[in-house]
Amino acid sequence: MALGLWTAGILAFLYLPIALLVVFSFNSSRLNIQWEGFSMQWYAALFSNKVLITAFQNSLLVASVTTVLSTILGTLGAWMLHRYRFPFQSALGLLIFVPIVMPEVLMGVSLLVLFVQFLSIPLGFTTLVIAHTTFCFPFVLVGVQARLQGLDPSLEEAAMDLGATPFQAFWKVILPFLMPAIVAGAMMSFTLSLDEYIVSVFTSGSQSQTLPLKVYGMAKVGLNPQLNALSAIFIAATFAFAMSAHFLGRKR
Amino acid sequence: MKKINRLLLTLFALGLAVSATAAPTKHLNIYCWSEYIPQPIVDQFSKETGVKVTVENYASNEEMLSKLAAGGGEYDIIQPSEYVIEALVKEKVLHSLDRSKIPNLKNIDPQFLNQAFDPGNKFSVPFMAGTVGIIVNTDLIKDDIRGYADVFKPENKGKIVVLDDAREIVTWALLANGLNINQITDKSLNKIKPTLEQWLPLVKVYDSDSPKTALLNGDVAIGVVWGGEGAILTNKNKKFRWVIPSEGTHLFIDSLAIPKTAKNVENAEAFMNFILRPEISKQISDEFPYLNPNLAARELMSKKQLENPASFPVEEELKKMSLFKDIGTKGSDVEELITTLKAQ
Amino acid sequence: MLGFLSPTSTPKGSTHRAPGLWAWIVLSPLLIWLLLFVVAPTLVLTAVSFAERDSLGRIVWNFSVQNYARAFDWVWVKILLDSLYYAFLTTLICLALGYPAAFFIGKAPERWRGFLLLLVMVPFLTSFLIRTYAWINILSKEGFLNSLLISAGVFNEPVAVLYSPFAIVLGLVYNFLPFMILPIYTSVEKLDNGLVEAAHDLGAGPLRAFSQVILPLTRPGIVAGSMLVFVPSIAMFAITTLMGGGTNPTIGEVIFKQFTAGRNQPFGAALGTILLFVFILALWLARTQRERED
Repeated sequence: MALGLWTAGILAFLYLPIALLVVFSFNSSRLNIQWEGFSMQWYAALFSNKVLITAFQNSLLVASVTTVLSTILGTLGAWMLHRYRFPFQSALGLLIFVPIVMPEVLMGVSLLVLFVQFLSIPLGFTTLVIAHTTFCFPFVLVGVQARLQGLDPSLEEAAMDLGATPFQAFWKVILPFLMPAIVAGAMMSFTLSLDEYIVSVFTSGSQSQTLPLKVYGMAKVGLNPQLNALSAIFIAATFAFAMSAHFLGRKR
Repeated sequence: MKKINRLLLTLFALGLAVSATAAPTKHLNIYCWSEYIPQPIVDQFSKETGVKVTVENYASNEEMLSKLAAGGGEYDIIQPSEYVIEALVKEKVLHSLDRSKIPNLKNIDPQFLNQAFDPGNKFSVPFMAGTVGIIVNTDLIKDDIRGYADVFKPENKGKIVVLDDAREIVTWALLANGLNINQITDKSLNKIKPTLEQWLPLVKVYDSDSPKTALLNGDVAIGVVWGGEGAILTNKNKKFRWVIPSEGTHLFIDSLAIPKTAKNVENAEAFMNFILRPEISKQISDEFPYLNPNLAARELMSKKQLENPASFPVEEELKKMSLFKDIGTKGSDVEELITTLKAQ
Repeated sequence: MLGFLSPTSTPKGSTHRAPGLWAWIVLSPLLIWLLLFVVAPTLVLTAVSFAERDSLGRIVWNFSVQNYARAFDWVWVKILLDSLYYAFLTTLICLALGYPAAFFIGKAPERWRGFLLLLVMVPFLTSFLIRTYAWINILSKEGFLNSLLISAGVFNEPVAVLYSPFAIVLGLVYNFLPFMILPIYTSVEKLDNGLVEAAHDLGAGPLRAFSQVILPLTRPGIVAGSMLVFVPSIAMFAITTLMGGGTNPTIGEVIFKQFTAGRNQPFGAALGTILLFVFILALWLARTQRERED
């Protein structure tokens, strides 16, 4: 019970600014600072703002692909490093943390140099996804590693004794066991990628402008309340989706 | 596994499709400051000329420089400030403009043309200008504020917001000491160090993006900020007063230029000419209250716009302002000086 | 303490096999990715840190150690220590706030878990900037919190909450809390209820059951969560500048400014290389210490 209250308190803390942000999406003032009056104008303006909408679509696309790639890299990596003893194993374990600790500007610029001058990949969707995956997959890997610790080795052995190949044992036994950590890692990757600014500055091309790239300079003239409207709609849609999945799943 | 592979392939194909849709014959890639060229203007240009325009944004001159230096994107138009134009001209990386394609340059106030950073405007066309000044919340500060020395006084400790920009802060200290703002040497930096040691501990907020936030929220009472910010504040509430520092200040000119690597030079020049049309230029001023150097556009603007002192300084004030020169490798020392003093 | 929080490379009780051809093939995507996009950029960076630059900020490949000579100035060390201190404080608070919540979610009825997790993540689907400006709105002098406290009669005068170390830590905790909750949740979720009950049956009070049974079993989650909060918050600077007012420079900000406004990529790279080196050394020391303890 006490834990429930505590969790409710944490959620209240997390949603406090979100509530304000939604309220301000109905503010009539252009400046996102003081409340002046009720208005739906930002929602109307948002629907005709194709730049913002395109940028948002790009963000969703990049975040989705990044999440898929990071989840695969992170999960397989964690499992292989757990299951086998590779040469330089501990060096690999340290290397995983490098993309997380590296300041974003260093990662952005060094990847830019790598892409343009060494690999000759034109800047765009591909380079953006590679860069995002590089700092997202360690989050999945570290999370999955934590779940793997203390895993009963007999689980996999039992499956193998029953005639499963290592692949089947992984697919049927290990993967379901890892699922909570994989889902958690995927969620972290998605939000990290969706919101990344500095790395994106250096690794995006003009066809792959994501939302943070369009938003960042906006503070100069006041953050556009259309952004609040966009966030409000996105949150509402996520909830609607989650609710329907939750209640539909319950019936079954 | 197969399913995942297929999903990946589809997603990548989608990504390719996104980049493939942009393949009509006429193109223009603009690399500009965010929130500086309103989207309707870009759309109108596309409609008139049939050119497909893509806009990429940056938040600082140096972001643009690092990307340009690495050979990152293929840009047709960039929008650097005056001292960056100077550096780019020196490095011979700008395309020499065909002036016959940009007849609307005649609309620009001659004061903003033929400057030292680009004599004869061979490489650049002024877009907007602006200045840095003092904004005072007269409800909270009753003293008469005239210059930097009045802002950075011990009684204002914890009430001050300044731009989070080392070069700007150093410039104010140079002016307060009667020094040339473009003479940045170890000697001059040493000379202004005591001034900065007094000033910086008084500052509550460093913010280059939106110093108006702290002022509007009442967290600070006085600031040294961009003219554009000052114009928004004075429009918003009469309690805010704009002051051009008596010691002098920095005037910036943001310009349009074409890198030598541009692939669509003609479209870029057409866009420059389009931007300089009076009615287009006025539209930009309606959205963003900077100092518009376009005289023909000013004729179309309202009295209220023209009388905002933070947008349009008077002649006599303009004379006290100077342009930045490129300081090349000294920028790093300026950063170090300010960082060191902040960290103390 | 250090040993407790160090990630292990050799979990106890698992069987380690020598990798065969297939194992190498399955591992190869990770290896290639690490080599190409982590090791190679790091090498580029290290090379740049020994170079010079021209007036436009472009790299000039002349070997020089002056960037390192400059980087060991006390100022940079102090800024690095400050950043580490904020990251450490953030990690502790996230752990204290997040652990009970993660425990609750992990022990909630199964069909609710996914939904509760989503509830934790949804706020972070919004843009960082509007989220942060919303906080600025709440904490400012004429903001939501102050008007609430004044109308409730707690204070007569508005208090300056914003632009302080408190605001920095609040902003960091807010943005990194999910990265603590999620990994702990995955550890709690697999916790065997039978074990906890067995501890109770053997006469262990709730506190002993927690410290002797639950805590050790959820340790991997705590370690992972702490790493995922501590490590990225070292170089995070958007929050410190926006909510702290930018009066305390952090290592991420300094490197960013040297790279951009300072046009001194070699010096920025040297600071970054030192940060990476210090970090990896600390991680390696913590790990060997733990292995010795085991």
